[in-house]
Amino acid sequence: MSSNSVIVCLAALAATAAVAYAQPAGVTAVGRVIDIAGAPIAGARVGFEGSTAHTTTDRTGWFTLSAPVGTTLVIEHDGDEVGLAVVTGGPIDDVVLRSLDAGGETIEMVGEKPVEAPGGAALDRAELQRMPGTGGDVVQTLRVMPGVTNVEVPIGLTGVPIRGSSPQDSRILVDGFEIPILFHGIAFRSVLPAETIRSLDYLPGGFDVSYGRATSGVVAITTRAGDERRSVQGELSVLDGGLLAQGSAGKRTRYLAAIRRSTIDLVLPSLLPSDLDLTLTTVPNYYDAQLRIDHRLDDRWRLWLSGLGATDTAELYTTKDTDQRTKRFYAHTAFARLTAGASYHDGSWTANLALSGVVTRYDFAQGAEQKLQGTLPNVTPRIEVIRTLGTVAGLTNIEIHGGAEAQVGRYSADIATGTEDREGEAPKAWDPHDMSTTYHGEFWVPDFAQWAATSANLEAKIRATVGVRADELARTGEVLLQPRGQLEFKVSPQWIARISSGAYRRPPEYQSELLQDKLDSERASQHIASVQWDPREGTRVQGSAYYTDRTHLITHEMDGSLGNQGRGTTVGGELLATHRAGPWFAWLSYTYAHSQRVDHPGDDSRLFSYDQPHNLNAAASWKRGRWQLGGRFQLHSGLPYTPATGAVFDNDRNLYVPTYGEPNSARAPLHHQLDLRVDYSWRWGPTALTAFLDVQNVYMNTSPITYAYSYDYTQSTTVTSLPIVPTIGLRGIL
Amino acid sequence: MKALVLVTLLVGCAGDLDEPWQLDHDRIVAIRATPPRMPAETTSLLEVLVANAGSATSARAPDSVEVVSPPGLAGAVVGATVIAPSETELAIARAELGLTAGAPVPLILAVTANGFAATKTVWLGEAATNPPLADVQIAGSEPGAELLLPGATKIPLAVTAVDGTDNVTWLTSCGTMHDFDLSRAYLRIEPEGPQDGELALVVRDPRGGVSWRVWRLGVRP
Repeated sequence: MSSNSVIVCLAALAATAAVAYAQPAGVTAVGRVIDIAGAPIAGARVGFEGSTAHTTTDRTGWFTLSAPVGTTLVIEHDGDEVGLAVVTGGPIDDVVLRSLDAGGETIEMVGEKPVEAPGGAALDRAELQRMPGTGGDVVQTLRVMPGVTNVEVPIGLTGVPIRGSSPQDSRILVDGFEIPILFHGIAFRSVLPAETIRSLDYLPGGFDVSYGRATSGVVAITTRAGDERRSVQGELSVLDGGLLAQGSAGKRTRYLAAIRRSTIDLVLPSLLPSDLDLTLTTVPNYYDAQLRIDHRLDDRWRLWLSGLGATDTAELYTTKDTDQRTKRFYAHTAFARLTAGASYHDGSWTANLALSGVVTRYDFAQGAEQKLQGTLPNVTPRIEVIRTLGTVAGLTNIEIHGGAEAQVGRYSADIATGTEDREGEAPKAWDPHDMSTTYHGEFWVPDFAQWAATSANLEAKIRATVGVRADELARTGEVLLQPRGQLEFKVSPQWIARISSGAYRRPPEYQSELLQDKLDSERASQHIASVQWDPREGTRVQGSAYYTDRTHLITHEMDGSLGNQGRGTTVGGELLATHRAGPWFAWLSYTYAHSQRVDHPGDDSRLFSYDQPHNLNAAASWKRGRWQLGGRFQLHSGLPYTPATGAVFDNDRNLYVPTYGEPNSARAPLHHQLDLRVDYSWRWGPTALTAFLDVQNVYMNTSPITYAYSYDYTQSTTVTSLPIVPTIGLRGIL
Repeated sequence: MKALVLVTLLVGCAGDLDEPWQLDHDRIVAIRATPPRMPAETTSLLEVLVANAGSATSARAPDSVEVVSPPGLAGAVVGATVIAPSETELAIARAELGLTAGAPVPLILAVTANGFAATKTVWLGEAATNPPLADVQIAGSEPGAELLLPGATKIPLAVTAVDGTDNVTWLTSCGTMHDFDLSRAYLRIEPEGPQDGELALVVRDPRGGVSWRVWRLGVRP
């Protein structure tokens, strides 16, 4: 079942650009001016010192100007900082202008963006869409990050496994607040189209005290403000289709709104064999919607509103007879988050205020009896204040920041189902009458957090950050103190070394953990050392080594309840090299990791379910003229699994109860594949068109990704990934 | 199995595995105690329905039977016969299992047959019978001992049972079974597959009762 996709982007841009320039002797400099989100900036003035000659960028951000080699171009645009570029005689790199109204947010040119944590990485929207083999999707792009386990088919996952941790141990933040679901249930598409994203920050560990509720990593996605120019953009593919509208309302307000709906449900029924005992009464489908409004109140205050929602629904019967409730499977998930924020910046003071609310709804039914329904609304007010100081007591470049938030939710659940499988547990036989987990009721979950940190230069080349975070979980009665610190050594202009240590906590809120109010939070101590080398502008190499010790891991007790007796360790090393210069964007990441667990005191240690010792991603993209070519090679270890050794027939329930070998004692084989991408751009009248072909797994290497057993476990087979996944599309800007 | 179907739909590319309705496969299909529930000091006889790859399905005595629970009633089985103990011994077993007075006592048995292991629960302290196989209809009529069915067509199968409460299993070694775990199923026998074999029906009720029937099956020329 390969899936071809065709993306057609229709855009309407209303702008004209007058081009008036004199032409001194020299070469013809051609370049493009974009904002930090990668959107072209029209009307920017491009000139050079010592001359009155200048030009302005056209509606696609491009400019052409004759200038002597070695001249420094000065690019100016209202509302943005001044940009510079040097005329070399060759193509000029995209000039990125930073908005002056960025307020207190830390927004810097992405190509040179400093990492927020040792081993971290950042990508902007253009790079997210340029990475070969990802189809421009955020979820797929995360798989190239060092430290992320490359799970080829993330069935059942709500996040990403990072540095030997379960997906629920990391946090996926959009505009600073967590989203409960990262990707849709079909096609594993992100709930956020890349077109709505400004940047993605990947912090695999060692993050500062303003981030909490995670024992592993953080993925912080920032949505983008709408373009200054009003436009409407449409998109249609075999997977989904959507509309995006953006523009400005007055000089101070920008807006962006987008909605997307799956289209694969229109195609899927025709792909299924007619004699299959299956009826898709609600063909798997999804919707998502995004909203962003930015308003610059004055020179100090900036207001913003960010909204995101997604819904997935599927209903099927494993029979042609839809009156048979015993053969029904229903799944519906939905969430909506709305965040209002205000940023203040004046001199040495910066403040960020936000109020965010989210409602999450789960509704699953399997057969006539088993169900899992839950509604989880919560509200989070948050305040953070940052003060910078010059010199105090011999310390320089001091930054003090503190913050607080309250996350208050009232959750309701109606559950009647079997016992869930947790990490490391082999799957149980499905019994439609199993009601070993039942719950019906409502409960409050009031959590509070405060944090404070100080950063300062101890001397010119040494910067220290120390902080502490305190989480109070009223439901579990815990007060969680988490001290964290980092030392940064600027060894030379090109070399930076960092060491970091800290305590991290994850509240018990995954699956049925919420139903038990006596569970403790999971705990982790992270210790990271990293080195960063920037040999030249646009090129960065960073290496990290880390050790994580985990305690209080939540595991099943003998009586089926949950306890905090698990322990675990992860040790690993990562390498990330990036190159952004001229026509080239290149990415090389390698991860070594070894992660183990002990589920109960006295148990043998076992491999973590997402233990992936080796993970290599090498990608390169080259752009020249109308062509953009890219390739990506992946090589990674298979994941551990627990082999079934036999089964005992349970006559009463008419099913086979499997017996298993040692947990995670076998491993799927190594997988490798090559992905290629080709883009070709041209103009058709007033429309700029780009056609692209993105092919995953071009030499069709189908490695096993999991194993399936027959009903009585006497036979097994491999489930392999799709041999080849081509994606073809067309994008147009009018 | 449903998970496998979903994975296969999403990912593709899973190899062939025998279906649960495939009778041409070595396995224990069902274990029957007659009766499934028995008062104190009465007996019940155990039988096993065994499917064999390449040969006929057979009902036979188990190779071995042992009491798994409660341990105090380990002597309640002799050969293939369950002997319900006295009310006094049942009262002790109820106390051991934390059951209320008069409640039926589950006697969990480990059964082996033809090299396969299974568990079966027989209930002590009250009476019940195995469910009748009522109103069995194959291709629209009540079946005889042997079936001669049309090929390349949808052959309806039906038995009176409550889906979701009773557990129905249709099995065959000839053709493809659809809705094998519903009271109303259908069979298709394609020309390129086996043209003779067996059809079996097993019905389990919620009180531990088990009944089955097996027919020889051929394709009508």
